Amino acid sequence: MASVPSSSSSSPSQPKTRKKPGQNSSPAPPPQTKWRTGTQERLYSRRLVDALRATRDRTQVQESVGSRAVKEAADSALALTARGQSRWSRAILFGRNSCRRKLLVKAGGKIRRHRRKQHGVPPVAAEPGVLKEQKVKERLRKLGRLVPGCRKLPAATLLEEAADYVAALELQVRTMRALADALSAATVSAPEEEETAAVDPMAIAEQGS
Amino acid sequence: MSSRRSHSRHSSASRITEEEINELVSKLQMMLPDAPIRRNSRVSARKVLQETCSYIRSLHQEVDDLSEKLSELLASTDTDSAEAAILRSLLMQ
Repeated sequence: MASVPSSSSSSPSQPKTRKKPGQNSSPAPPPQTKWRTGTQERLYSRRLVDALRATRDRTQVQESVGSRAVKEAADSALALTARGQSRWSRAILFGRNSCRRKLLVKAGGKIRRHRRKQHGVPPVAAEPGVLKEQKVKERLRKLGRLVPGCRKLPAATLLEEAADYVAALELQVRTMRALADALSAATVSAPEEEETAAVDPMAIAEQGS
Repeated sequence: MSSRRSHSRHSSASRITEEEINELVSKLQMMLPDAPIRRNSRVSARKVLQETCSYIRSLHQEVDDLSEKLSELLASTDTDSAEAAILRSLLMQ
């Protein structure tokens, strides 16, 4: 069987469309390339910023934005950027926003609200030989617990979701790190003025005592 | 190439072949940070899954650390410099 040269080469953009006449739908880009395009990064960073700003506006001056709120905002933004095309993103969005429908509208209505199992019953009898080992099943179960919303999936679907989730997580880490760096660069310059103002009364107080 | 496509079309997602599983496993393996180029030979699925689990867990940990850092930063900066920094980081993408 010839190997598919779509993502193993160093091309960062999406693979060329292979539209054969007998095809159902256009093949989805593999997760490594899909989550690494510049548009995805920009989309996600913008969504993250919006989510963070919304979170900060909601929490008043007294309490600071908790890290958990930041993480949830980041995860929701990530799931939004996935546009509801993967199961884990749908699981995140539906888990959080049972009362808030605005985010669904923001995604452009592209999230299908299918909660039932799609494409029939998962196969029980027709498992390939690799999956019948006990340890492999254990690892699969562990993986299912890590990826949100994927506990009961058949193996192939779970593997697909995991690949997509890993790529998305990498994007999340990269964006958050860039944002943190930018913010810390801003905080380095800003409080210097405050510190010079605060040092003077301190020095005077020490000299006085 | 075309044979694989028609094969999956016949099975219509109700029967998953071993080939597809192997393909997915190798795709996962390539995404792991541990030198995917070196492992041209097939690594056992068990190991790939184990490394994927630990990788996801470490990514989760990084996200947690970064969100804590971000929450501290957001609390300490005032609005204007935060907005400026955010815009700067967006423009640099």
